[in-house]
Order: sequence, then C-alpha cells, then structure tokens
Amino acid sequence: MITPPNYPGIPGASPGTPPGPPDLDVGNSRFRLALARIRLAWRSFRGAWSIYLESRIGVLSLLIIGMFALMAVAHPVLMLTIWDSGTYDPVTGYAFGQSQQPASPSWRHPLGTDPLGRDVLSQLLWSTRSEFVLGITAALVTVAIATTVGAVAAYYGGIIDAFFMRLADLIIALPGISLLIVLSALFKLNLFYLALVIGVLGGFGGTAIILKSQALSIKVKPYIEAARVAGGGHFHIILVHIIPNLLPLSLLYMMFTVTSAIFAEAVLSFLGLLDVRMSWGIMIHTANTGGYLMGGTRYWWLVVPAGASITLLCSAFYMGGRALDEVVNPRLRRRHD
Amino acid sequence: MTGYLVRRAGQMVLTLFLIITFAFFLVQAQPGDYATFYALDPDIPPEVKQQLRASFGLDKPLWEQYLIHLKNTVTGDFGVSFGHFPRPVMDVLVERVPRTAVLFLSATVLSFYIGFFLGKAIAWRRGGWLEYTATISGATLFTVFTPAFALMMIWIFAFRLGWLPVGKFLDPLVWRHADVSANYVFGQMLLTAFLFTAFAFLVLYLLKRTGRVGLARWAGPLIAVGGVAALFVWSFSGVGGLALDILKHMVLPIVTLTLISFAGTMLLTRNSMLETVREDYVMAARAKGLPEKMVRDRHAARNALLPVVTSLVYSLVFAIDGSVIIEVVFSWPGTGLTLLQAVRTEDLPLVMGAMVFIGLFSLLAHAIVDVLYVYLDPRIRYQ
Amino acid sequence: MAAKINGPLLKVEDLTLRYLTRGGEVRAVEGVSFELEQGQALGLVGESGCGKTSVANSLMRLLPDNARLAGGQVWLRGEDIFALEEDEVREYRWRRVAMVFQAAMNSLDPVYKVGQQIVEAIEAHEIEGTISAARERVARLFRLVGLDPALMDRYPHEFSGGMRQRAVIAMALSCDPAVIIADEPTTALDVIVQDRILRELKAIQQQLNMAIIYISHDIAVVAEVTDRIGVMYAGHLVEYGNTADVFRAPLHPYTDALLGSFPSVTGERRPLAGLSGEPPNLIDPPAGCPFHPRCPRATQICQEEFPPQAWEGTQWAKCWHPMNAGAEAPSDVELEAASDVGIVEQSAHGEGG
Repeated sequence: MITPPNYPGIPGASPGTPPGPPDLDVGNSRFRLALARIRLAWRSFRGAWSIYLESRIGVLSLLIIGMFALMAVAHPVLMLTIWDSGTYDPVTGYAFGQSQQPASPSWRHPLGTDPLGRDVLSQLLWSTRSEFVLGITAALVTVAIATTVGAVAAYYGGIIDAFFMRLADLIIALPGISLLIVLSALFKLNLFYLALVIGVLGGFGGTAIILKSQALSIKVKPYIEAARVAGGGHFHIILVHIIPNLLPLSLLYMMFTVTSAIFAEAVLSFLGLLDVRMSWGIMIHTANTGGYLMGGTRYWWLVVPAGASITLLCSAFYMGGRALDEVVNPRLRRRHD
Repeated sequence: MTGYLVRRAGQMVLTLFLIITFAFFLVQAQPGDYATFYALDPDIPPEVKQQLRASFGLDKPLWEQYLIHLKNTVTGDFGVSFGHFPRPVMDVLVERVPRTAVLFLSATVLSFYIGFFLGKAIAWRRGGWLEYTATISGATLFTVFTPAFALMMIWIFAFRLGWLPVGKFLDPLVWRHADVSANYVFGQMLLTAFLFTAFAFLVLYLLKRTGRVGLARWAGPLIAVGGVAALFVWSFSGVGGLALDILKHMVLPIVTLTLISFAGTMLLTRNSMLETVREDYVMAARAKGLPEKMVRDRHAARNALLPVVTSLVYSLVFAIDGSVIIEVVFSWPGTGLTLLQAVRTEDLPLVMGAMVFIGLFSLLAHAIVDVLYVYLDPRIRYQ
Repeated sequence: MAAKINGPLLKVEDLTLRYLTRGGEVRAVEGVSFELEQGQALGLVGESGCGKTSVANSLMRLLPDNARLAGGQVWLRGEDIFALEEDEVREYRWRRVAMVFQAAMNSLDPVYKVGQQIVEAIEAHEIEGTISAARERVARLFRLVGLDPALMDRYPHEFSGGMRQRAVIAMALSCDPAVIIADEPTTALDVIVQDRILRELKAIQQQLNMAIIYISHDIAVVAEVTDRIGVMYAGHLVEYGNTADVFRAPLHPYTDALLGSFPSVTGERRPLAGLSGEPPNLIDPPAGCPFHPRCPRATQICQEEFPPQAWEGTQWAKCWHPMNAGAEAPSDVELEAASDVGIVEQSAHGEGG
C-alpha cells in the first residue's frame, strides 16, 4: 500500500479532520496530485526494482526471505489441519510412541524430536513467525527514530544536531550484545522489550548518523529552498520533503536492523537469558544444556535446522540489504557487462 | 594535532562518566537494590552486609548514593563480588581483563589484516570467482550464528581432529606440578608479546629512517631473529611448557573470532576501494608507469583504508560482542564469561564492574582508532 | 633526447576506438590521423565528449577495460605503441609520453607528500640511482616550474590550485618524456593564473624542445600556445591546420561556430554565434557528416555520405561545403534549405548546447 506522504503537512487534510461538506474542486486537484505522486513513486520503484533484480545475490536473498515467510505461515495451517496440539505443540507437546528422546527424524517427525520429546519441525516453524515479528518490530522502531532524528538534526543543525550526534557516537561505542546481557540481568526481557531495546539503540545510533548525512544533502537541494520560499513551515518541509526522500536509505537500514535483531535474540536465547518460550536460539540452548552438541553429527537435527535457519535468515536480510545498497548508492554499481 | 588529542581525551572522560551514570540508573531502575541482593545471600555474614550497606551509602539520599557510586567506580571499588565472595570485584576483573584483551586484540588485528587484504583483492578484480566466493563466504561467516559456529569449530578441531584443546584457559594436568601461577606465566607472555611488537616497530622505523631502499629488505629477517631470540629465552625459562599450554588454548578462540569478524572489514574495504579506483590519482599513478601492484597498494588501497578505519568502530564493537560469545562457548575465563556468570548468579556488583570495563574497553579501542586515523590522513593531521 | 629516426616523432594513423557499454558500442574515436614533430605544439579542440581525451588516453596506452581499439596505429619514434607488451607499456608510460592531468586537484594523491609522488615516478623508471638524487631532480623541476623546492615535503592539500598545477607539470617533466599531453591543463584555475601557467608551460616546452599536445574545449586557450590545431567533433578530426590559418579562416562550419562562441579581444568585431543543438549520441551517430543536424550549411549529401578532406594549402577540413571562398560555395537555395534544417533541428533539440 502506498500512502501519499503529503497529508499531515497540509492543514485541513489531516486524517483527524471531521467530515464536512467536501470541497470538490480542491479535493479533486489534491486527489490528482496524490495520484501523480503515486505514479511517480511507482515508476521510480520499478526502476529500482529492475536494478535490484540484476543482483543475483539480491534475488537469492529475497527468495530465502520468501521461503521463511512461507514457513511462518505454514505453522498455524499445519496445526489446524494435520498436526494435533497434544503431540505437535512446540512448547508443551510430547511425541508419544518414541522409544527414546530425542528421536531421530521419521515420517511422523520429519526433523525428529528434542530431548523433551517435542517436535523439532514444529518448533522451527513456530519460531520463524516470532523471528519475523521481532525483526520487523525492531526495524520499524529503528527506522522511525532514525529517520526523525536524522531529518530533525540535519534540518535544525546547531545544538540539536550536536546532541543527537554525540548520543549516536556514544551508542555506537557500546557493544550491544554485552549491554543486552546486562539488561537481562536486571529486567525480564521478553521478545517485545528486546525488539524495543534493539530498535531504540539502532535508531539513536549509527543509522541516525547515516540518515542525517543523507538528510543534509537533501536539505541543500533547490526544492527545499523553493518549499521554504513558498511558505512551507519547518514541520511541513521535514515531513513532506525530507523524510520521504530518506525512505529508500531507511529501508536499507531496516534490512540490517532485522539481521542484528534476529542475531541478538538468538544469542541471548542461546545463553538462556531471555523470557521467551520457544525460538531458534532456545532450541540450540536446549540441545547444548543437555550436552547433545558434543555428540557431533549424531544429534544433528537438534542444532542444524535452528542454526542454519538463524544463519540463513540473517544473511538473507544482510545480503538483501547489500543488494539494495547498490540500488540506493549508484557509485557501487558495476559499470559494464 | 595536540589540541585534537586533548579534545578527544576530554570526550572519552565525558563518555565514561555517562556510562557510569547509566550503570547507576540501571541499577536504580530495576526492582530492589544492592542491599536486597546482599540480604538474599545466606553466605554473607550480617556484619559484612551492614558494612556493605554503608559503603554503598544505601541509607543516604539518592544523589549522595550517586556521588558515592561515582567515587567508587573511579577508584575501582565496585564492591565485593557476590559469586566470588569474598573477593572484591576489582580483584576478579584484574585477573580476567587481560585474557579478554589478548583474545580481542589478536583477533581484531588478524581479522583486519585479512579483511583488508581480501577486500582490496576482490575490488581490484571484479566479477572473478574470488569475488563471489569471498563475498558469499564472508557474508555467511559475518552473519553466521556465532555460538553454533564456535561449537562447530570445537567439534571439528578438538573432537574429531583432536589438534587443539576443547576450551578453557589451561589444562590442569599440565599445571599439576607447576610452582608458578597461571597469571604469572600469562603476564610474562604478555610482556614478551609487547616487547616483541615494540622491537618489530622499532626495526621498521629505523630502517625507514635511513632512506635507503635496499635496507628495507632486511626488516623481515631482523624481526625473525628477534622472534627466535624470544623463543630461545622462553624455552630455557622452565615455564615454556606451561606457556605453550596456554598458547594452545588460545588458538581456537582466536581463529574463530577472526573468522567471524574479518568479513565486515573485507566488504567495507571492497566498497571503499571501488570508489578510490576511480579517483584521478589512481589513474595518474598508473600513467606514471608504476607497477599495478604499487598502484593498487600504495594509492588505491591506501586511500580506501581511510573510510575503513573510520568504520572500524563498528567492527570493534562487533568483535567485543563476538569475544563475549566466544568466551562463553570456549569457557575462556575473560571479562565476557565473567559477565555472563555474574548475570546468571545475579552477582550485581560484578555485572556492573564487568560492564564498566567492557565500556572502557570499547572506548579505548575507539580512541586508538581515532588516533590511528589522524596518523593516516595528513589532511587531518595538520589542521 | 634520443636521435630522431626517420619520420615524425609521433604519428597517429586512422585511430579508431570503441567503448562497450550497457547501451551499446560507443564510437568514441573515428579514424583520427595526425603527426607531431619534436618541439611542436598541437592543440586538440572540441566539446566535451568529442573523443579528445580518448585520443590522449590511447597515446598513453591508458584506456579503461571496456575500450577496444578498432583500428589504426600509433608510432612514437617509429615504434608501434599498441604492439608493446605489458611491462613495456609500464616502461613506455611517463618515460615516453607523460601527461598533465585534467584535474590537477585530484591527480595528486592526498595522503603522500607532493615531492614523494614525483620521486615515485623517477624511481619506477630508474632515472636516478638513489633517493637523494631523485629528490635533487625534483628540486630542479620545482625551480623550473616556479615552485620553491622546500614545498616538496608538503601535502597536496597545503597547495593552492595554481601550485598544484605547477607540481603536476613538474611531475610530467620528471622522466624527460618525448611528448607531453596537457589535458585541459588550466580549466580549474582562475583566468590570471591560467594565463601565466600556460605561458610558462610554453616557455618550458620551447626551452626543452619537447613536443606537446594541448587538449581543451577552449579554442582561445589553445590558440595562444600551439603551432597546429586539430578540431574534433563526434570522434572525428574534422579540421586540421596551422593555428594561425585555422583561426583566420576556418574551413569547417563547426570550427567557425567554435570560434564564434568565444569573443575575440583583438580581432574584428563579429556577432557571437553560439552552437545550437547538442553533440550527437555516439552509440548511434547520424549518417553522413555527423555535424549535419547542427550545421547551417548542411544539404542532402551531408546526410548521406561522410565528407572527404577539402584542402586549402596545408589546412584541411572534412566537409562538403567548406567555409572559404575558394571551395565550392553553396547556392542560395541550398543555404535556405540548410537554415530550415537548422531550425527544425534546433526545435527538436530544445535549448541544449
């Protein structure tokens, strides 16, 4: 869904306006303007898309992300159709009829069961959804904060700029995982808080610096001056002219934030520090605390599916981000052939 | 330049102050305080509890507690560790921090060197098999789930091949009859490493000062002689076997940490290099008839290094986090493992101490990178 | 300087160059031929994208990876430079042909001292045995181009624009090349510095009896310092002759237009005529004479066939309807038709040019 980004700045057009007699003429032209903007956005999106598709790695990572999205959808569907919750529930299920746990893969349990007799495939699929929720929440928080901070710092400059940039410097210098470990000692971290913390750290950290420098280059463009001369308020200019132009770069950093969020969750779960019922990290944690990892390849299904999923999804978002980088940042594009 | 350094040091002090403040308010924000934690611990005798309460100023108003916290932190008094009772936190950390430093420093230097080398190679010849292999394997290693990867390394090199020990800092069997402490041997090893590095730099510097091209050739052999001399001294010191044991335990964690962190530098170098190869001075260098290798290394890569060093901060933070994970998986008794154990046992004073030290660590690394940058870029050096 | 083997110092014959790009093959240089004698100064003039820098880069054997030599040869002192092996090329560059780069600002590496960058070239070609001798040589070069030798140990960012330009000239002279190519040597400088550096460069060239090729979009700049001038358009050398002759009586309408777009202080008064339209797309250049869409004198034949050389003494132009009275003059009807074409093209191209 593409929403024209011009509503909030125009008085009387904000969504909160009570419905009155519609001013047909103004409404119509505004509607056309919106349409034109959508068309323009669509065209530039198509151009960017075709560049993105040229990157083999970019396409591959998109396919991988799509595959995981399917996996996330598959779990509730399977639970509703062929899996009964007594056996297949990722947390409370128990696979009866196995002589010992963990049981190796079989037709009934394609990826075997874990030391507590729970179906590994079900755990894997169930966790996929929460990884997406976590990653995307964190990314949205990061981008919302970083875009605002970047635009505001670049637009106003001076002490506001200095404050946010020093803050970002400070946050960059903080090792995130270590900080999260400390936080987990003091507070009960669940998935949502984790996403929030990662999002806030990312948003006020490095992403803000990069978006600010981008916003600075937008700020000096003639159309910003034109908007100011035309009487656009600060708020209007930031919202309508600067932020929309920051969005492509924001999208790029969203991809990277997803990677770091999923990674952080997995590490903290692996260390047993998170208040989460099931996740890829917890699956490995369970196997590790049970001492099954040093059995080498014997209990491979306890660690390979989860470990590979974490690595694959993280690198898919990361490589996707890099492919996007070549779109957003034309200097990296290959010149010929 | 002096002005810059002074300003930079000032910023560091300020940042450290912010971190300490942040730590204080974190503790304040969580339910309960130090006193409740100590009160819950049956191992601590009541009179010690009373004494601790007084030393943290828990009966005083908040701002006074804050001042006491500041004073305590600055003087290195983080209180008594709860998990290692009755050792003070500082005592535990003084033992653990150098171990992390060694792990972190060697891995960082190695991964930077490898990353930079590969990055410039793949940017120089685009589209070859090297670019694909290096990019994909680099990105995979960069995003690989570190604990799983570390476990895999242990499994391959310690269990299957049996080349290296499984984990930990030393082998108790080797040390059973040793009459020196591990900390002493490790300290001597650090001293040797430091002296050797200083010697190598001195040789390079002095040979460069003479200004004769032919002499640079002697740098390698001279440094090698220094290394052999150091080994010679060690093998007759009587504790050489013990040092070797520690070394053996160091290899796998360092290799693993290097593998997971070189890719960041590699990909950055590649991007940065793709921009510098289009610069006019690279074209000019080629026009001057310099050999391709010189055009690449002395001009394109030397300039590509600047943005890479600027973003080294990210890599450093990544490596610090990586070393925490590696320490946990390899049971390497450094700051990271200490932090995790403290978190698990709710040893709050030790958590705070470890956190301040990790913060200090990253600040120092940050500052070193900044100074390095100033040294590398003459445009800043002479401002 | 080595003794001259028979024939000219530099001979370029039928040089043809293509760039392979995503959009197709760019016909950057089309059959360019010229000669250069020792001590001579040649100017190559044309709008940006006309192929003059490509010619310069071919002479240096410094072409990008996607360039393809489609034909022609270049001889320096009778040696075919496109037949050189990889390490011979390295030896050839700077030692035989050196270059004063377009952007002196950027052609000095910011992280090394200026003197060091010149010493580097001297070392690579083993001109001097020791570093101190090389430094001594750099000091002499600095004095020659009017720089204080003490500036050797400064970094490029400590130099002003003019100083950098002088340093780059010193760098080009460092290995006693037979030919120096000055690619837009003074474009980035202000007019007074520009003029002074050009005159000094000319003085040095005459003193050392070097051959030099000036490349510029500014015909007035080139006119001051060259003996011969070549005008390039869309990859073709369209006019060639003695500088004075070309200036006084250009044969090609394009040269005429170029001259018209610069005011002349000393010459006769004439209206400033700009060029309408844009240079053609070199992936798909127009048939016939590439200049015909913008040419006020174009006729039917110009659209169909590439023009032959029309000579006037030592001066020639590739044009069906050369400007001088001696050549066949187009009739009034043709002129009218031509101006129609001009107008049509102008509106088609908008206000570009």
